[in-house]
Amino acid sequence: MGSKTYLIYFLIYKNLQLKYKHSMLGFVWSFLHPLFYLLVFNFVFSKAFSNIPHYSLFILSALIFWVYFSGSCSQLSLTFIRNSHLIKSLNVRKLLYPLSEQGTELVSFLAGFLLFIFLMIYLGMPINLNLLYIIPIIILFSAFTFSVGLLLGSLNVFFRDIGILWNTLNPALFYLSPIAYSLDIIPQQYLFYFKLNPLYHFFFIIRNVLYEGIAPSFIQSIYCIIITMVSFLLAILVYRKTRNGFISNL
Amino acid sequence: MKELAIELKDVSVSYLHNKRGIYSIKDFILKGGLFSPFEHKKVLNDINLKIYKGESLGIVGRNGEGKSTLLRTIAGIIIPDKGTCKVSIEISPLLALGAGLELELTGLENIKIYMAISGRYDKNTIKDLIDNVSEFSELSMEQLKMPLKMYSTGMLARLAFSTVMTTQPELLMIDEVLAVGDKGFQEKCKKRIHQVKDAGATVIFVSHNPDEVKEVCERGICLKNGHIICDGTSEDAGKEYNNLFI
Repeated sequence: MGSKTYLIYFLIYKNLQLKYKHSMLGFVWSFLHPLFYLLVFNFVFSKAFSNIPHYSLFILSALIFWVYFSGSCSQLSLTFIRNSHLIKSLNVRKLLYPLSEQGTELVSFLAGFLLFIFLMIYLGMPINLNLLYIIPIIILFSAFTFSVGLLLGSLNVFFRDIGILWNTLNPALFYLSPIAYSLDIIPQQYLFYFKLNPLYHFFFIIRNVLYEGIAPSFIQSIYCIIITMVSFLLAILVYRKTRNGFISNL
Repeated sequence: MKELAIELKDVSVSYLHNKRGIYSIKDFILKGGLFSPFEHKKVLNDINLKIYKGESLGIVGRNGEGKSTLLRTIAGIIIPDKGTCKVSIEISPLLALGAGLELELTGLENIKIYMAISGRYDKNTIKDLIDNVSEFSELSMEQLKMPLKMYSTGMLARLAFSTVMTTQPELLMIDEVLAVGDKGFQEKCKKRIHQVKDAGATVIFVSHNPDEVKEVCERGICLKNGHIICDGTSEDAGKEYNNLFI
């Protein structure tokens, strides 16, 4: 292993330590957090959406990815600020900090996801080979999440309200994403705007696999790949433009 | 013929500074910062400096005159706006107060992270290194297993200094770490710096105390307003520094 790999490994280890240092349940929280949401939604909406079969599974399949997305973004938006003491004293590539942060989130997401597989099977998840599609989807979704987080993190160094703004808009994005409902209930004239939400396309293919048990829709997968590529390029561009100013603003 | 280790040519560094204290979008709009809210504040001005292998250089100067910025530029953490900074030896991380230490983690974990960051992590030697750090810093294993937030400033300095020193760096950059250690440890550190120097390392030493600089370094420079106003023996630089206060 190269020392750079060691460094990422240690940074992830450090992040996990810091995250769960003073919590008794530790890792289990990455399971409990979405579970709590699931219970609330089930309680509140299950009557309203009784036409959706396996409603719990319907929510859960998108919900765990939402929790991963919003958690990562809020962590990554702070990554340069939190590591400012390292950035100021060490000459290592600054991109390693958001990368290891994303790695940390991925590890705790996967740990929760493994537990959720059992719950989803219990809730009626179809088990077939199509399930394997979830692996490339997780990779793609992680890349997209990383891009959004890196973008927020780079800008947050200069204007701290980017992070606050993100946390404010977070619930709005949550309810505007088809997590607890399906787009069938949206009036035709608004449908276009809902589809502008990148998360819609990701949730579409995630549900294809985890909820319907079919291969992900080809056209939606292409959308997701394009969205990821564009946001990744944008994030890298902004990061490169801003990185030399980090030190003076941290 | 002495071998060149570090060469700075016409190096200028400026900080992107927030004009009128604009740190939020609200201020940005209210204070009319729309037209370039940032301004450049010069910290280093046309610095020309040659440091040779095995040399020991002391940097003195008042607070905010660019000493730490100069170190960071040499370490490659800050990229100069103008000029070039060529370093032809291996740089080890900067040794500054609290730099690179994670307060929530234990001393041992911090040592490991440090080793990984400086590219020296090796499973086989890590145990020996930890023993060396423990021995030199006089911190017991029990103390090393405590989180750093329970350490005193002096203990932090001991840990940081010992960790960097046990790796036999080629270029040692020290930014006022000695100031907080107790007398015994200061003496020990100075002795160790001399040992590292004798082994062929290049040392750059930043301090407020001209006597300390004289003890550790042969050559000295004095910084004022981002300019080098004196470049000579450490004694000359110390005198120049003392003159600043008359």
